[in-house]
Amino acid sequence: MRKLLFLLKKEFRQIRRNPFMARAIIAVPLLQMLILVPAITFEVKRIDLAVTDYDRSPASRELISKLSGSSFFRISGAPAGQAGADQLLLSGDADIVLIIPDDFSEGLAGIGKPTLQVLADAVNATSAQLGWNYLVSIVRDYNRDVIISSGLAPAAIPGISVSSRYWYNPDLNYKYYMLPGILVILITAIGLLMAGLNLVREKEIGTIEQINVTPVKKWELIASKVIPFFIIGLFDLALGLIVGWIAFDIPFEGSILLFFACAAIFLVAVLGLALFFSTMASTQQQFLFIAFFFVMIFILMSGIFTPSESMPVWAQQFNYVNPVAYLMRINRMVMLKGSGFQDIARDMVALTVLALAFITLAIRAYRKRA
Amino acid sequence: MEALEAYNITHRYGRVTALDDLSFTVGHGELFGFIGPDGAGKTTLFRIAATLIMPAGGRMILFGLNTVSRYRELRNHIGYMPGRFSLYTDLTVEENLNFYATIFGTTIKENYHLIEPIYRQIEPFKKRQAGRLSGGMKQKLALSCALIHKPRILILDEPTTGVDAVSRTEFWEMLTQLKGEGITIIVSTPYMDEALRCDRIALIQNGTLLGINTPDSIRHSYGKKLYAVTHPDRYRLLLALRSLIQALSPEPLSHSHEPRATDAPLSVSAFGLSPEPFGDSVHITIPESITSGEVVAALASSGLPGAEIREILPGIEDVFLELMKKEV
Repeated sequence: MRKLLFLLKKEFRQIRRNPFMARAIIAVPLLQMLILVPAITFEVKRIDLAVTDYDRSPASRELISKLSGSSFFRISGAPAGQAGADQLLLSGDADIVLIIPDDFSEGLAGIGKPTLQVLADAVNATSAQLGWNYLVSIVRDYNRDVIISSGLAPAAIPGISVSSRYWYNPDLNYKYYMLPGILVILITAIGLLMAGLNLVREKEIGTIEQINVTPVKKWELIASKVIPFFIIGLFDLALGLIVGWIAFDIPFEGSILLFFACAAIFLVAVLGLALFFSTMASTQQQFLFIAFFFVMIFILMSGIFTPSESMPVWAQQFNYVNPVAYLMRINRMVMLKGSGFQDIARDMVALTVLALAFITLAIRAYRKRA
Repeated sequence: MEALEAYNITHRYGRVTALDDLSFTVGHGELFGFIGPDGAGKTTLFRIAATLIMPAGGRMILFGLNTVSRYRELRNHIGYMPGRFSLYTDLTVEENLNFYATIFGTTIKENYHLIEPIYRQIEPFKKRQAGRLSGGMKQKLALSCALIHKPRILILDEPTTGVDAVSRTEFWEMLTQLKGEGITIIVSTPYMDEALRCDRIALIQNGTLLGINTPDSIRHSYGKKLYAVTHPDRYRLLLALRSLIQALSPEPLSHSHEPRATDAPLSVSAFGLSPEPFGDSVHITIPESITSGEVVAALASSGLPGAEIREILPGIEDVFLELMKKEV
């Protein structure tokens, strides 16, 4: 035990002396929080809309002014004809083109049926779909106004009125959704990359040769390499949380203790992976390649951007062994919903099993190969 | 019981046989040297002795403890210096030394007397990070760290490679002192002059031992008289000696069936070895039947007058080169 404390002291001394590490420990959480949280958003705003108005009637102008009045659309052009509209779509100057035919107002007046044509750039399927939905709902509103004002129907059209309230994130603030996820990415990067690089570095510069001839036991060596990054990981998590709280006024509904307990279990899993990958690499470069590959997969599959429930079944099954997916879910539940231990018990147990499995596997591999 | 006993040590890396059936013993307090070209298997052998790898075959016993089954106890008695500098470059001289003292459960103070002659020289720089030391100082630090727990055996893998001549000499003086303390030392070196300072030398090549003996015995085992031939034009001298041998060799390269002139001044079996350049001279062996004067005469007649020849005591290199040729 005294030996382990001494080894730990040496590790911290080296971390402090390494100018890159010392800075990264402070800079990474600050930058990730301040850059990623406000930058990543799925809100679709200011869609560039081009309108070709063949009708040029008061009715068509009213529709256009309704569209331009909403915060979703920005009128970006008024091409004279179909060819001009196509060109705008192609050049990216318009995301959606609305074509109002010349019989539009006649149709509204009861002669024939009024029609509209909408062309959307669907390279990004999500924004095309959202834009189309916004447009349709504005047209529907307009349609209703026309019906009421022409006296075709009473002001109160019977029907089901749906009133919606968004729980847990009433303003649909994407920052609230992203921040718990970014915190997971933060401690994954610290736990996996920093710890792993530190482990491989001893191998790369050859100091491990000298250590291996001493009576230092394998477990003492492993513990001395892993514990500092466990502490640094939790420290950075706290730092990230404070930044989120100050800069974005992020709500924290649940128990901070539970939140950190889960993060601690997660760190054990991630440090196990770092140790395991380090046995497969003999240089820091090799390690980075292996770690980067897995970190990408873990993060993208974890449901940080898209709900993992809508992924294919095999992807959801993969997430059973993806520690990032568990913490992603737990963090959001605890921070935004205020979920308690009972709500997240299943995920917590699964994460614990995963952590124990990874660290056992890693220690075995380490004993065999290093 | 010897300090080190190796029985039929064999080791392979994939299909490459690094060590092939090596057996030898090293006595207590002996300074035992290994010389051999790069890739001969010295490092592998030392790593086995240092309990870092298990031999594929055979066994090695240090102070009665098997390197495989009793490695834990053994590690308290081994001081190992790998070929590559492997201390923490971001820790200071003092921190490195303190680190190794502590993990061996001792203190710098306790064994200071042992490292004093070496450490004293680097002590003025004890607050400097090890990465900023010169090659010679790095090596003194590495030796201090290997010694701080008072090991019974020192395993030094090419400790002087890449170190300047003065530091090399100092280093070997320290080894002689440590030997005086009763510490057994095995050391590998590519420098033949260093090998002369060992009690015994093992010549190793392609994973096999070519021979073990004291430096003197090795030099005397040469068997033939060795001459150093010098001439200002060393390159032409070498060529002339080579062609002289070729002309006289029992199987001429021309494969001609023409009988050789019977009045040749030297007998056909004159030269057992091709001449080897050494420094400013060329080493050559000649049998008893001819004199060195005849060689000088032969050189003069082929356009190199004024060559000098003198008999010399064979060096380790000469023996090593001869043994290597026999192997091939």
